[in-house]
Amino acid sequence: MLEICQLCGGYGRKEVLKNINAAFSHGTITSVIGRNGCGKSTLLQMCCGLLKPASGRILLDGRDISEMKHIELARKVSYMEQVHTVGNITVRSLVSHGRFPYLGYPRRLTEYDRHIVEDSMRRAGIYDFAESSIAELSGGQQQRAYIAMLLAQDADVLLLDEPSTYLDISSQLELMRIAAELKLSGKTVIMVLHDLNMALSYSDITLVMKDGGVIAALPSAEAAERGFIQEALGVSVFYDEKTGHYFFGKDEIHEKSNT
Amino acid sequence: MRNGVTRISSSRTFYTQNNGLILLGMAGLVMISALAGICLGSVQLSPAEVFNAIMSGESTPNGRIVYCIRLPRVLGSLLAGSALALSGAIIQAVLGNPLASPGVIGVNAGAGFFTVLCSALFPAAVSWLPAAAFLGAFAAVAAVYLIARKTGASKMTIVLAGVAISSLFSAGTDTITELFPETLSGINSFKIGGMNNVTLEKLTPAWLIIAVGITAALLMSHEIDLISLGDKTAFTLGMNVRAVRLALLITAAALAGAAVSFTGVLGFVGLIIPHICGRIIGFDSRVKLPACVLCGAAFVTLCDIISRTLFSPSEISLGIVISYIGVPFFIYLLLKKRGGKHRA
Repeated sequence: MLEICQLCGGYGRKEVLKNINAAFSHGTITSVIGRNGCGKSTLLQMCCGLLKPASGRILLDGRDISEMKHIELARKVSYMEQVHTVGNITVRSLVSHGRFPYLGYPRRLTEYDRHIVEDSMRRAGIYDFAESSIAELSGGQQQRAYIAMLLAQDADVLLLDEPSTYLDISSQLELMRIAAELKLSGKTVIMVLHDLNMALSYSDITLVMKDGGVIAALPSAEAAERGFIQEALGVSVFYDEKTGHYFFGKDEIHEKSNT
Repeated sequence: MRNGVTRISSSRTFYTQNNGLILLGMAGLVMISALAGICLGSVQLSPAEVFNAIMSGESTPNGRIVYCIRLPRVLGSLLAGSALALSGAIIQAVLGNPLASPGVIGVNAGAGFFTVLCSALFPAAVSWLPAAAFLGAFAAVAAVYLIARKTGASKMTIVLAGVAISSLFSAGTDTITELFPETLSGINSFKIGGMNNVTLEKLTPAWLIIAVGITAALLMSHEIDLISLGDKTAFTLGMNVRAVRLALLITAAALAGAAVSFTGVLGFVGLIIPHICGRIIGFDSRVKLPACVLCGAAFVTLCDIISRTLFSPSEISLGIVISYIGVPFFIYLLLKKRGGKHRA
């Protein structure tokens, strides 16, 4: 379990996160939603050790992550950033880097590592492009390659910062299938998503953030029903029971139509 | 579209499967260029004459040509080429900038300044020159890195900052040259870069540094690939980014500094060779770095042959020949970058 206790911090003197408390169980998908600049990405970066908290603790199965070595943390927590630095290497090489936390010197892949790399590329749907250069792929294909690298890292906790960026609708659904698969295998998946429909439909828990704080961490349907999304994002949420889909409307528009 | 990408895929597979052969071919090119470097010059020697000269030692005229002139030049070219090319490949990966190289970001100028400074202050301490050059190279690379880190500067800004640092060190070199005119014999040749003054004695401390630098870089090839994916990705994959970056910058500075200590300020090798090798063999550092070592060695040796045979018996500096090749290549890279930006 990943637990966040009274977490505060940000970039230099700028405090972004204010007294965050949250817990993420094994085998769950959590979507983090909120307005731009409310601290979603900062929260993820602190959870993987990229940013150090000003105060508070992040515990992974009871151990403070600040006490873990780089390699140990990388075996337990993986992170996919919002914007990738696109290297001029093949997809296979990139995905192989996912095994870095498990390689001793001279950093040679074992048969087992190679098997995981192949399997990860297949699961992410990028196997056909294994020998292609990343730089020559489309944005969506690059995203899939990075997802494959994350799968190869095989960490217990996966932190994904806007993973559906660049993906077409079919690939977004494929991403959610992968997330569901990871959940079934007991992994903790935490995603920052801007697509509310996708966040509410596919995640177990929705963590709603506003102005650097968490205002709700509830089962997705409950978070929508109790008005937390409206409070954080200023949009009304409607649920169509027949289709099982959510609809959203800007509050101002909704108010105008009522008057 | 899909077919197009698959076609690229198959061509990459070709390179991946033939990397060993390509590296072998490059090693062959090094051997041929080294032999040509010993044979060709104002006095032409056949391979048989070179063999006899080596056997006879310095007692014969041909022996003196081989041992006192050609061999130091060829060894110097091989060492400088491999060191500068490898240093360029490391700097490009660490700064995440394909336009960066020891010459462009001021590493060579920094090494040159400290070499001249050391010669002025301690004229007898020739064996200290590589250490002084290393300090200068490291000062330059650290300055550019700090600018990049503190300001979050764009790739082009990093290059411009490097140009400014390079100009500052060059001004420092000129100041010392004017204050101590007898500082360094052949100062002009040193500032352009050349092999005219290379002796086996000058190579002695430098070759050891270059050998250690090459070994260290090859051992860190996996880390170089990781760091070129960006700090965040490298960190979350379990790499100690700060420690590895520092180790890589020290390695790059040591390689460039050692080369500059005996060749002078030789530009463009660290820019051209990593790009060419990437195109030929791919960008996986485990094969690209050995390719840079081999191609850099062959390139500088061949350029040195041109520098002393093109207007034979007169000789032009090696740095001039490399500039004639390097400047158009640099402009080509700038135009390519600019074109890419516009398309995006």
